[in-house]
Amino acid sequence: MNSFSGVPEPLTRLINELSKLPGIGPKSAQRLAFHLLRSSEETTKALVIAVEDMKKQVDLCSICFHITDKDPCQLCQDEERDESVLCVVEQALDVIVLERTGQYRGRYHVLQGVLNPMEGIGPEDLRISELLQRVQSGNIGEVIMATNPSLEGESTAMYVQRLLTPHGVRITRLARGLPSGADLEYTDEITLAHAFEGRQTF
Amino acid sequence: MTSRERTYRIEGIIIRRRNIGEADSIFTIFSNTQGKIDAVARSIRKPRSKMRGHLETMVQSSLFVARGRSLDILTQAQTIDSYQEIRGNLEKSAAALYCFELVDLFVEKGEPLPELYRGLKQFLEVLKATSSPLSVRYFELYLLNLLGYEVRVFECVVCDSRLPEQTALLVPEAGGLVCGNCRLNTGPGRLIPVPIIKLFRFAARVSLENYVTIRVTEENLNLLRLATIDLIRYHLEREPKSQYFLENLPPPPQKP
Ligand SMILES: [Zn+2]
Ligand SMILES: [Zn+2]
Repeated sequence: MNSFSGVPEPLTRLINELSKLPGIGPKSAQRLAFHLLRSSEETTKALVIAVEDMKKQVDLCSICFHITDKDPCQLCQDEERDESVLCVVEQALDVIVLERTGQYRGRYHVLQGVLNPMEGIGPEDLRISELLQRVQSGNIGEVIMATNPSLEGESTAMYVQRLLTPHGVRITRLARGLPSGADLEYTDEITLAHAFEGRQTF
Repeated sequence: MTSRERTYRIEGIIIRRRNIGEADSIFTIFSNTQGKIDAVARSIRKPRSKMRGHLETMVQSSLFVARGRSLDILTQAQTIDSYQEIRGNLEKSAAALYCFELVDLFVEKGEPLPELYRGLKQFLEVLKATSSPLSVRYFELYLLNLLGYEVRVFECVVCDSRLPEQTALLVPEAGGLVCGNCRLNTGPGRLIPVPIIKLFRFAARVSLENYVTIRVTEENLNLLRLATIDLIRYHLEREPKSQYFLENLPPPPQKP
């Protein structure tokens, strides 16, 4: 990795680690590192502990595979939510985005990725068999496929649809209001709410 | 080179996408005039990006690219064809991705291959209309042939005599079929019955449009698949990652 002349090794190491974070270039990493260097011991300790606790305490829900600090997660335990509807998403961030719309009152299933044959990511790398088990064992009436409208997201939706169809569950896809190639993560709440309302049988 | 243009315009098919950073993506594009290139699109995953929707795996686009220090940068994109007929079908999507991976693995960056570009476009055009797995087999053989890995299927690769109407041995290492007399003197191979030899020969003679109309039994289709995969594996020294996916799709739901 980079080394900077005149910069002590531990600081260089921190700059290198920070620059691995998304959206942080070498310049920002350097700025952050120097900021931390000037910060009080208390401040830096709090940051270190927060990162450690997050890694130790946040895990995946054993039912829906959303991130949680207690198992099952809050969403799976909420009796107010409709147990008969499952919304299938690619990643935990998508749950957070969809929850922000306030439109959806069912449960979730987080696949932890999408099928990506060229990168060698197959069905066994995702939480697809767990989804199948949920559908087989529960009283689920509708599964909403809310994967991204990318090639990988569409393929994943079609693949899951094939596995679920024999189990007599209604499978729907978020409406096409989502622009092709868009990331759910970056789609505004109104568009998402419309996509939910306009969902269609696959 | 000092006289290189700062920006250039290409027509290309996006064969691979990798998301990097917060909202950027690197696209691998197989183009008409520049061959295979990698180029980055900044902020492409943000809703306001004008190029979003025009840049996506399996989209044919008209592109403006600016030369960058380490990586070229996509500045404009306009969709020509987004192949909806392929996208909406799992088998077809998987077949297209497999062929994209072949192009990605076999082709070096920056080597113009206009004929292969036309061949890939043709393949996608035919794939829109047909579900015949023969399209993939044809493309494999077409690609090998075009890149100089010709598969000899008319004469024995050892003694040069015309192959009789008999089972022959396909020896990837030797570059084609081996007759019964020469079989003992060659490397490992796979026995290829006459119908499969004919399918190999047709692929060298007829157009893709005609090839996919050939009626083939499941058994022969499978034998042809095993044979072409032997060839691909020999030249790549591994299997394309997307091959397993293509070959292990769940069966389509039965229409009542
Ligand atoms: Zn949960
Ligand atoms: Zn011979």
